[in-house]
Amino acid sequence: MSERTAVYLKDRKAGELVDAMLVDGVTRDEVEKAESVWKPFLDQQLKRMQAEGIPKNRWPQHRHWDWRQKQESTETYLAYRMFGVECSSQMQGLMLVLTAGKNARIDSERGKPMVYVHFLAAAPWNLSSIVDEPRYTLVGSVLLAAVIHLSLEEEFQGRIGLHSLPQSDAWYRDACGMTDLGPDPSVQNLRYFEMTPKQAAEFLEER
Amino acid sequence: MESTAQARKTMTLNLTETEMKALEELSTTKDISKTAVLRQALRLYQMVEVRIARGEKLFFEHDASKQKAELMML
Repeated sequence: MSERTAVYLKDRKAGELVDAMLVDGVTRDEVEKAESVWKPFLDQQLKRMQAEGIPKNRWPQHRHWDWRQKQESTETYLAYRMFGVECSSQMQGLMLVLTAGKNARIDSERGKPMVYVHFLAAAPWNLSSIVDEPRYTLVGSVLLAAVIHLSLEEEFQGRIGLHSLPQSDAWYRDACGMTDLGPDPSVQNLRYFEMTPKQAAEFLEER
Repeated sequence: MESTAQARKTMTLNLTETEMKALEELSTTKDISKTAVLRQALRLYQMVEVRIARGEKLFFEHDASKQKAELMML
């Protein structure tokens, strides 16, 4: 059963905060509804990018993610939770996290449990990499705040970890203040990031 | 942002002294309460059970030698 909490996103065009809902426990119907809008929009933008000769290394690196499949393959498990941010009756971002079996690697927290972010993405119309004027900002921040809150509830003191796609490395490192532990050969050499309890508290305080 | 915690139910748990000692050690090492340790254990156990029911096997792999050992689930 999903739970809803009031949050805010920023309407970029209007330049103001707008009401949104954080959905904890996104259902199959909600994922299907999101994908049915996200995918055609993304395909259309990719066609445009191809026609304009934009090199593929500037295309969104998560363009192949299939949220329907991710939801279906994890909905049975207690350890997985899917979050979403809804605004204007549309899903503006989705996140899949794992709440068991992952331990921190950073020296000060080594071996202690944390929440692992498997996947996090904003809706394609919110990505500055593919549209000139994203509709809403703060989607990633709201989802990251949600996983920190979850980590606190689980008694993990805010510890979280994730592997980042190269296009998001700078955001996790510079905007979110996570520690970059370098490329991980066991996960396609993606850079591995962690947030300590102190960094998590700072992240929440700043927002 | 407000808490997203779901309503929880309480139960009494009977453990032997050895089991309680193991639980307390995990609680200390992981720096979480005994309830949180058991919640972690349940999530992992449920995941293993679902995957084994699908015909999968659970292996541990040594980080350096890459030697694999199957974990026997009875």
